[in-house]
Amino acid sequence: MITHDKIDEWINEVEERPASAPNIIRYIARRLSDLTNRNEELLNENIALRLGKKVEEYESRIASLEYQLEILKRQVSSGVVAEEMLSSNASAPPTVSLLVYNGLGQVLRVELDSLDLISTNSSFRFSKQIVVEGFVPRLLITSTLEELLFVFDSGRAVTAPVVAIPSAGKDALDWEQAFIQEPRGSEELTTILPIAKMTLAELCIQTSRRGFVKKMGESFFESCVTNLYVGTGTKQKQDKTCSMQLCEKNDLFVMVSKEGRSFTMEANQLPLTIEPAFQIGATDHIVTTFTVSKKPYLLFVTNNGKAVYRDIQWLEQANTFRTQGQLVFSKARRDSGTWIVGAAAVDEKDWGAALTSDGDLRLYRVNDLFENGTLGISEVVDFVIYGSESRN
Amino acid sequence: MGLKVGIDFGTSNSGVAVFDGHEVHLLPVDRKSALPEVVKSILYITRDFKHYIGQEAVELYYRHNVGRLRRFEKKWVGELEFRGADMFYVRDVYTYVDVLKPGRLLQLIKSALRAGNYPGTQIFDRYYTLTDLISVYLRSLKERAETLLQEPISEVTLGRPVKFSEDAQRDRQAEDVLRQVANQAGFQRVSFELEPVAAALFYELTLEQPQNVLIFDFGGGTLDITIMRLGDQRHRKVYANNGIGIAGSDFDRAIIEKRLMPHFGKGRADLDPDLLELVNAVSDWVALPDLSTPPAKYNLERAIREGLAPARLKTLETLIFNDLAFSFYNGVESAKIALSDQGATVIGLQTNQLDIWELYTRYQFERDIHEHREKIREVLLQTVSDSGLEAEQIDAVVKTGGSSSIPAFTEMLGEIFGAEKVKSSDTFSSVTAGLAIRARSS
Repeated sequence: MITHDKIDEWINEVEERPASAPNIIRYIARRLSDLTNRNEELLNENIALRLGKKVEEYESRIASLEYQLEILKRQVSSGVVAEEMLSSNASAPPTVSLLVYNGLGQVLRVELDSLDLISTNSSFRFSKQIVVEGFVPRLLITSTLEELLFVFDSGRAVTAPVVAIPSAGKDALDWEQAFIQEPRGSEELTTILPIAKMTLAELCIQTSRRGFVKKMGESFFESCVTNLYVGTGTKQKQDKTCSMQLCEKNDLFVMVSKEGRSFTMEANQLPLTIEPAFQIGATDHIVTTFTVSKKPYLLFVTNNGKAVYRDIQWLEQANTFRTQGQLVFSKARRDSGTWIVGAAAVDEKDWGAALTSDGDLRLYRVNDLFENGTLGISEVVDFVIYGSESRN
Repeated sequence: MGLKVGIDFGTSNSGVAVFDGHEVHLLPVDRKSALPEVVKSILYITRDFKHYIGQEAVELYYRHNVGRLRRFEKKWVGELEFRGADMFYVRDVYTYVDVLKPGRLLQLIKSALRAGNYPGTQIFDRYYTLTDLISVYLRSLKERAETLLQEPISEVTLGRPVKFSEDAQRDRQAEDVLRQVANQAGFQRVSFELEPVAAALFYELTLEQPQNVLIFDFGGGTLDITIMRLGDQRHRKVYANNGIGIAGSDFDRAIIEKRLMPHFGKGRADLDPDLLELVNAVSDWVALPDLSTPPAKYNLERAIREGLAPARLKTLETLIFNDLAFSFYNGVESAKIALSDQGATVIGLQTNQLDIWELYTRYQFERDIHEHREKIREVLLQTVSDSGLEAEQIDAVVKTGGSSSIPAFTEMLGEIFGAEKVKSSDTFSSVTAGLAIRARSS
């Protein structure tokens, strides 16, 4: 609420104390910039309303919520659907999808049938460059029956079921076949979270690349999903969300940074407002987060294809925020160009997928990685795990 | 025989210290606080009647309350008898109780001592009198101090403002209550010292020769002024003592009333008495959380549907029903503190349903507190006059307490006594330190 009287008072402040002028200009400019962005969003919404797109969007949202509810009913009442499908023979229908996505909102989905999962070293290839406009792709493996929450760096979110993403051919993956969850303006797609089981989780934890963390209670997160706005999860201008994680209050929450540091804290102890939890160096950023409840091991995968595993007891819980965390590997190794591309809590039955910079996408059994200690490939850009818990 | 400590139980902050005869040791009683020697005078009582103080209370409050679910149940609380000329009937009275409320946060407890009209409050199934509340807080402080000192504490010197109240009887009552509370908290011997005198004793440690000193102790709840002869322990003399119930919390209230109320519908919803009551409650942070009842929600949503300042009333609804009151008042206080160092700041609170942005300058702040400032000037000059000294005969003016950093008051002291005489003592701990010195000599 800016009135003429207030403007006069601001001018009086500047006349009395000229040193206040830069501050006042800075505050007003920042506000103006925020309001301009907000105005653009509102104008876009207005256009969508006039074109009737909003109605379509709400209808699609209602349909996806009904779908989500159906999945939940099936999961709760008839047991573990996906698990049964996975454990059945090779002729079972496909139930797991491997998603490759980037900041431009492009998403490729590869359906994995049981054969893909059972045979080790199944691989797929990109026919063209995987890095588009500087965006390195990320991976996600999830049940095909899932509902997904696409989170943008503006804090906006969109939901869509996995099956809404057309399945791409396995022979030669190409971004041209990608489904596009279109960003608005200069937005960037930062992460995708499966949310079918959101009502069974107690918390959702939002983490930024610079180690800022915010936890949301179940009901609050539900209202965020309903409003399609989860917040930016950041306090610094250049920072952006890198991960969202559903978990229980007593689970251990772990953040792992590119330069090989990890931070562990009980999920319930994390802050409700965005706080810098993990003190990482200027050149470092968070590459992955995960929670630990029942899994006995930790698996860290590096860019040069090494698979390092440790017992879960290795994790040391931090008592305070802004700690520098635990070192996963030595400084010498970091200086020689090794960094972390993926990490997770695992057991022997889990599966993982790795993507290399030249477009090679491979599946691995965690048990094999324990035995070999390597992925057998180099220049890995991302590694994700699909675990027995994910199938439940 | 246990240890003797000094405790400053302040309106906004408290502290504990012990004096070994050479040096004052301020105890880090709040490890979670940015200044561990300063503990916020905040008490959080959970549904299972566990008590938390200071930063721990604040963190727990946020953890338990922000974005939580609510469920209201209508509960019978009593009955009202109506008697007319030819009729008599009894009516049941109900209230709405949030049965999922995890705890209750209490702040500014010391102000209730001054007001004298706050008997206590119902917290879940228990009734806490004012003495219970303060006693719980002091006991927690005592336990923390004993853990740090590894020795039991038996004696305490508590600070008290120069005037709890202008009314001498109420003033005496407040001190009696505080004494009773301290006994209840486990202190066997309790003595009192005026807070500005305590600050003076701490300042005296730095003096090499006797001086006439004016102590300007300006905290969260009161302004206390003392003029003393210091520097020679055998010839200490109090020339004058005075106080006024204006301080930091009054400035926060002035900022809210003069600058922020329009964001919540003030000026737009004034014709609806139900809404006006809700809007006016914004400046009273103690009352606000209790307004989150189904009738209040109904009234707000009705007005929003009818198009009566919908964005502003939505802001009010979000503030009340999302437990944002504490964040809001903290934001106002932080802005006030920021204006001590800079000419402009922003009072802001943003969520996806609420967007408060108020550019606030020192010029505006000084206008908003102008009345308070004039009253303070009057009391200051009156104290100097009571002391029998001329302003020129005051050798040093020592500022202490959070509100003493406000530039308008530094300037006022400089104008009256000369800028070179105005000195700052440890803003939050000089009273605590002085009380420890007094405790040892008592």
